[in-house]
Amino acid sequence: MVDIEFEIDGKLVNANQGDSIISIADREGIDVPRFCYHKKLSVAANCRMCLVDIEGNPKAQPACSTPVANGMKIYTKNDKAKNAQKAVMEFLLINHPLDCPICDQGGECELQDVAMDYGSDVSKFNEGKRIVADKGIGALIQTDMTRCIHCTRCVRFGAEVAGIVEMGLTGRGEDVKIEPFLTEGIQSELSGNMIDVCPVGALTSKPFRYEARTWQMNAIQSIARHDLVGSNIYTQTYRGKVKRVVARDNEVVNETWISDRDRFSYEGLNHESRSLSPKIKKNNEWQDVSWEVALDFAVSGLKENTQMPSQFGVLASKHSTLEEFYLLQKLTRSFGSENIDYRLDKADLSIDNSLSSTITLAELESIDHALIVNSYLRLEQPMINHRIRKATLSGASVNTINIKKFDFNYGISLEVLSAPQRTVSMLQSVLKSLHEKTRTTLPKYLSKTKTDVTHNKIADDLIAAENPVIILGEHINSNPSSSNVVGLISEIAALSNAKIANLSLTGNSLSAERVGFKPANGGSDVTSMLSGDTKSFLLMDVDPNYDFISSKLATDTFNKKNVFVVSLNSFEDEQTLSSADVILPLACFYESSGTHINFDGVAQSFSASVSSPGDSKPGWKIIKVLADLLGFEGFDYTDSSQVADDALSIDITVDNNSEVNIEVSEDSQVTAHWQNSPYASDAITRKAKALQETQIGKINDAFVSDLTAKELKLSEGDLYHGVPVSINDSVAEGCVFVHTYQSRQG
Amino acid sequence: MNEVCFKNLDKENPASLATYELTGGYKVWRKILNGELSPDQILAELKTSGLRGRGGAGFPTGLKWSFMPRNQEGQKYVVCNSDEGEPGTCHDRDILRYNPHSVIEGMAIAGYVMNATVGYNYIRGEFMEPYYRFEEAIKDVYDAGLLGTNIMGSSVSFDLYTHLGAGAYICGEETALLESLEGKKGQPRFKPPFPANVGLYGKPTTINNTESFASVPEILSRGGQWFADLGVENSGGTKCFSVTGNVRKPANFEVPMGTPFSELLELAGGLKKGRKLKAVIPGGSSTPLLTAKTAMKMTMDYDSIENAGSMLGAGSVIIMDDSTCMVKTLTRLAHFYYDESCGQCTPCREGTGWLYRMLQRILDGNGKSDDLDLLMSVQEKIIGNTICALGDAAATPVESFIRHFRPEFEYYIKHGKSMVEIDG
Repeated sequence: MVDIEFEIDGKLVNANQGDSIISIADREGIDVPRFCYHKKLSVAANCRMCLVDIEGNPKAQPACSTPVANGMKIYTKNDKAKNAQKAVMEFLLINHPLDCPICDQGGECELQDVAMDYGSDVSKFNEGKRIVADKGIGALIQTDMTRCIHCTRCVRFGAEVAGIVEMGLTGRGEDVKIEPFLTEGIQSELSGNMIDVCPVGALTSKPFRYEARTWQMNAIQSIARHDLVGSNIYTQTYRGKVKRVVARDNEVVNETWISDRDRFSYEGLNHESRSLSPKIKKNNEWQDVSWEVALDFAVSGLKENTQMPSQFGVLASKHSTLEEFYLLQKLTRSFGSENIDYRLDKADLSIDNSLSSTITLAELESIDHALIVNSYLRLEQPMINHRIRKATLSGASVNTINIKKFDFNYGISLEVLSAPQRTVSMLQSVLKSLHEKTRTTLPKYLSKTKTDVTHNKIADDLIAAENPVIILGEHINSNPSSSNVVGLISEIAALSNAKIANLSLTGNSLSAERVGFKPANGGSDVTSMLSGDTKSFLLMDVDPNYDFISSKLATDTFNKKNVFVVSLNSFEDEQTLSSADVILPLACFYESSGTHINFDGVAQSFSASVSSPGDSKPGWKIIKVLADLLGFEGFDYTDSSQVADDALSIDITVDNNSEVNIEVSEDSQVTAHWQNSPYASDAITRKAKALQETQIGKINDAFVSDLTAKELKLSEGDLYHGVPVSINDSVAEGCVFVHTYQSRQG
Repeated sequence: MNEVCFKNLDKENPASLATYELTGGYKVWRKILNGELSPDQILAELKTSGLRGRGGAGFPTGLKWSFMPRNQEGQKYVVCNSDEGEPGTCHDRDILRYNPHSVIEGMAIAGYVMNATVGYNYIRGEFMEPYYRFEEAIKDVYDAGLLGTNIMGSSVSFDLYTHLGAGAYICGEETALLESLEGKKGQPRFKPPFPANVGLYGKPTTINNTESFASVPEILSRGGQWFADLGVENSGGTKCFSVTGNVRKPANFEVPMGTPFSELLELAGGLKKGRKLKAVIPGGSSTPLLTAKTAMKMTMDYDSIENAGSMLGAGSVIIMDDSTCMVKTLTRLAHFYYDESCGQCTPCREGTGWLYRMLQRILDGNGKSDDLDLLMSVQEKIIGNTICALGDAAATPVESFIRHFRPEFEYYIKHGKSMVEIDG
């Protein structure tokens, strides 16, 4: 409600009770200089740069912390305000090194900008300047704390947004320092945002260091595709290379923040294993050839090896673009084959488990209870986790059912451990408890299910909440009975009026779902293709070592003599080289235009930020030419936006091919759950050097409980499929939880 | 002399509960517990008494207490600021040492008036003896059944805790004190919101100085008018002054407001033989310096000192005779503020260091002719631009020292040595 009327610089304006002067000045386009103020962080009022004159007030007042009041007369540019602002500016500059020519922040520095308006051209300071020794804070953020102006934005970011207090203001007086409390470096998955909020060159991007001056770069709007959010970003390019990625504001998607994965993965673009020219394998020897030769080789190879259409299979990474998915399925179906799949890492393909989410990103902030199933949400979907964290700050409670207790940045009320093979029975018990509490008819299959206090508590919390959500994470994908889990979650949600957030379809999976990138009409899914009679494969951005639930099955199949593999790939990894017969060099993230469909179902298109290196080409173009050469009609596209238009206008639905079967018997065998760590989620991220050097990048543990370890005769430090064993009582009994950057074994 | 806070000084065992009760202690508190004194009556008496906050700002205590939203639901707090750190002051320490019960009773009364059931006394970190003495006093009062829940069967509850600071001057600033009390780094909060609305742990809180609380029981037992009449208009009652510096008997004196400065100087034994009064800082190092001529004409009350160009402040009277080198003295003071700045806000963090470094350079004989103008300009840029009053406190002495003794500074800069031959 607008209830306050006051004057600012002679202009009569209205505001709400409690609005700060600076927020109204911003709204009215009145420029008030500031450093510590940030619209997404709490008010600190410590820089004093935004001092303004309020009539009747003997002292100038900070615009950030002073609420407007009826009848106030505010002057932001009269002598009193200007003198106060200039005084503060002078103090800020006396100990600042003024090393702008060698500072990466130069050109985009708030101190530099404001100093142009409020600073003096000659310093009156004749004493020695302060020098601050730097402590390294990890591979992502470069510190030059001598430049720090102690605005505490980074400290407040850590405490309020990242939820991990890693930086603090220590010491006092002139000796105050912003420094990390720990020596291992900053560990937050959102740490890069500290670079964005730092108004000066104290915190800058380490991988970007000395790469380019900010004014030399172009900033191109783009979309990050590592997770389900599709964070809005700018790619900043210089001489045809992406030099840096920064956040672009979009309140309903990523607000002001992006994850470190979205920010630093671009480094992978320049990896030495980039595929730069088409390659064909003849007599087991690779040779670089022209596109014409490679395409001919590919087309004739596909034709020769495929006696009937059903022997042709197409597999694509879940990070492909909407356009790539659309054209690939069109090509496959033109071929007469239904063998297409993107669900390479799913163990249970028995039903289409595209459980639809029934809540939006922004709505996640206003839930009052969340049940997180099978997700290390903080690392896997950082921006979604941030929304949940915000909800918890407003009082929401969170329960988890996970294979291990994970390190969340908010309190978890109840952490239930469940090995993959027991998740179904766990959820059955929760469902039964819900039935009992809601006095609804118990389905027959639950008659023998037992419940205990844990199940009752989970059910109670769901029922008691007004606005609960059940979050299903990506760990479910490697569960062989995931369709049962999905079915149960649907039932639980329906009974408790909970919304569903299905995060298991991550990356650009929703684009694949949208264009029906799954076998229909008796086609083969990924597992049937790999274990069946498929004689030729077209692989889109696939790494056989990482992307499959069974990398052994995949590599064995691709390596068969009589199987012809065309790989569209940005990287020439060892396994790709050994599996493929043709490598068609593929443009990577930011090198191709495309579309990502995010959690909210919003299709966000982006253009290419840079052209792809060497002879590599955007995926949609390669597929189009392949289709043309294969003689298919309907591929005469000249622009990816035409492809997107077609993709979004055609409704291809792939039906479920079986009923939900929730009756399941408990398996007592010890299972292994292989979960790649977030910085091994896709090819480009795996090649991003700085990310790999972080704590998250180095995750490499085979967690096993004491009891299970004894059963398996494992001890601490042993290698379990190449991953060091960590005996840990926070992991569920009856399983080994392998959390690692390494590729899947077995 | 010594009629309110120090009234038991001449008794045996002045800090004990027995002595305190013998001289009328806890009479007011018992009346409250018997339901014979309403909060409104107490507020009226306090307003009549003219008691003003003794911590330095001089805000009327009765008015301050009436700002608390006493009928608001939820926890409220009473906090006593015993973080006495102003250079030149040590009278609160002696109140804690010799009359701790007056503080306890004053706080309990405040709690009753403002409907706050918990109180904290934040005691300066270096005050170990007063701390133990105060703790002992609290224990005695609890043993006597005068504190706790539903005290003496009444509906009144009040619990009191002591907290020992950790040696930061800034924690004497009331909001920094609250931060410190909450276990955080002692840094002032910006205002608004004020502690009366958002104070300790975000709850309504009233913070008063030790001497203010200690005066309350006597005011209520002998009447607001009695107290007001002790002093002069606009400065009711008595005030404890710590008289230090170049006097023969530096000590604490509780004298009526309006006592001539010259009398106070005499109480402290006067100057050393042969010395002449050069300057006086009347209210602690944060208040402007006055020349001897001005000081000798003033009386010790809010208005007179303000008319003389300074402030009563915390009642810490620093006497300087003609053996004092003003450059050296100011440099020492500048170092204090440079050292004690919390570093949170820009003008104070950067400005106090700049002032100190310039002064130290002058003291080292490397002064430049334009340094004095620069000092004046720097202090002017600090004043009024900081979160709390420490910035102003650091700037004030620079301004007043240079204004009154500019030739002495100029001499030092020119000759690289002090104009004052004997520095002692």
